[in-house]
Amino acid sequence: MIEINDPSPPTIVELIKVSKSYPPDIKALIDISMTVITGEMFFLIGMSGAGKTTLLKLICNMETPSNGLIEVSGQNIHRLKGKSLARLRQKIGVAYQDFKLLTDRTVAENIAIAMEVSYKKPPVISKRVKDLLAQLQLSDKHDTITGELSRGEQQRVTLARAVANSPTLILVDEPTGNLDATTTEKVMNLLNKCKSSGATIIIATHDESLYRHSNHRIMELSNGKIRQINGGVQI
Amino acid sequence: MNFWFAVLRQVGRNLRQTWASQCMTLLTVSLSVLIFAFFYLIYTNMLNVGDKLGDDLRLIVYLNDEPGPELQEQLRHKITDFDQVQEIRFISKTEAYERFAKQLGDNRDVLKDMPKDFLPASIEVIPLKTLRSLNRVKLFSEYLSKLPGTLKVQYGQDWVERFFYFIRLLSIVVILSGTLLILTTVFMVAYTIRLTIMGRQAELELLKLVGATNNYIRTPFMLEGLLQGLLGSTVGLVSLFTLYQWIRMRFSGPGILNLFNFTFFSPHILITIIVASILLCTVGSYMSMQKFLRI
Repeated sequence: MIEINDPSPPTIVELIKVSKSYPPDIKALIDISMTVITGEMFFLIGMSGAGKTTLLKLICNMETPSNGLIEVSGQNIHRLKGKSLARLRQKIGVAYQDFKLLTDRTVAENIAIAMEVSYKKPPVISKRVKDLLAQLQLSDKHDTITGELSRGEQQRVTLARAVANSPTLILVDEPTGNLDATTTEKVMNLLNKCKSSGATIIIATHDESLYRHSNHRIMELSNGKIRQINGGVQI
Repeated sequence: MNFWFAVLRQVGRNLRQTWASQCMTLLTVSLSVLIFAFFYLIYTNMLNVGDKLGDDLRLIVYLNDEPGPELQEQLRHKITDFDQVQEIRFISKTEAYERFAKQLGDNRDVLKDMPKDFLPASIEVIPLKTLRSLNRVKLFSEYLSKLPGTLKVQYGQDWVERFFYFIRLLSIVVILSGTLLILTTVFMVAYTIRLTIMGRQAELELLKLVGATNNYIRTPFMLEGLLQGLLGSTVGLVSLFTLYQWIRMRFSGPGILNLFNFTFFSPHILITIIVASILLCTVGSYMSMQKFLRI
């Protein structure tokens, strides 16, 4: 019996020469090529306006690239439509920089929405919501209207919603922007827990404390271009 | 949680949040159905009256002289040459006198000095029940007036013509109110759903981003349209039935309503109106959602 070992690690996200322009002539991303390996934690860093958020939006199909190819789980996501696109989006959890919370709904309802679309049973949803709120120190906010929360609390609710459906890919945009050191640690613990369960995590941040002492790969963006990729195993 | 459970939860939540605009739409749908059904009810009853009058329709051909048996046979042939008829009856002058005297009843004395042949002989032609259109009746009447020895043909022309024109006017009103029903229902439902969509834009966008299928987003709105159609048409028809009962009770004495058998819709028509309303409202919701989902 002959064993064939595939030397290339399994990739979950692949970008080939991706560019994104906005009218009239703003180049947000220029020729970005990168690969994210399944199960890794990947940091996307850079100054404000470097293109981090745009890159995350392209990966989760919120926006379409002007040029280039983006594959998630081996599928060109910008060619997907209807049910296939919905199914893929259920596997991608996104914590948006602007939160995208329903401010007239309770915290529990906001987190549950991600699980409801994949028809999880109500007891399962309820248990998962309570569990996540406990991990993020928000148990007492279960029935609070989200609009009444502080920005730090809203940020944690967004993160809870992103990880609620146990997605295989989690995109997090500035997860600790409004948090103190203790809460930042809680957030990172939750993300590390997701990583341990097999999820791939891409974090866009300019908070150096998050990646300084880690051995995860880091990609720095500057003016829409890749400046350098450091750490971990180079691809 | 299955698809329908999730959808019903969404419907319940949305109805709670937008109950005021939902009530307004329900009211509009009910009124539209009520207006249309009201005219349609009158129209169907008038058609029944028309049928009943048609049963009594007869053309009377007054003759110069009383025809002998040979001429009677010739006239019979000529009449049936134009169309098949139900019955042809020859009335002699004496028979006409006897009938008239009978009709006068106690006042028959006024005929005492009159000769028994002062009334003209006539032919009573009872057409087949298939002869319903005014034009055909007119043509038949003109044909009969050209028969040899004919003085005049009578069938209550003025009354029959007015009645046919009234039916035609009523059918136009029914068509107009039907069109009104279709337009108001579709536009009002589409407008309400569009308002709801605008009010829930953020939520619907989020639903797409977290992986909701188009069916998951669209179905609750279509169910709302279906409910609007079902409840709106039921309320409209129940209101009409209440109005109908009130009119029947109010005018229960001898009156025009008792001359004809004024009836309400059959279950078959009621179901048709309800199903049509449901379809229209659901189409209205679907149109609005398609516009949103195309983005």
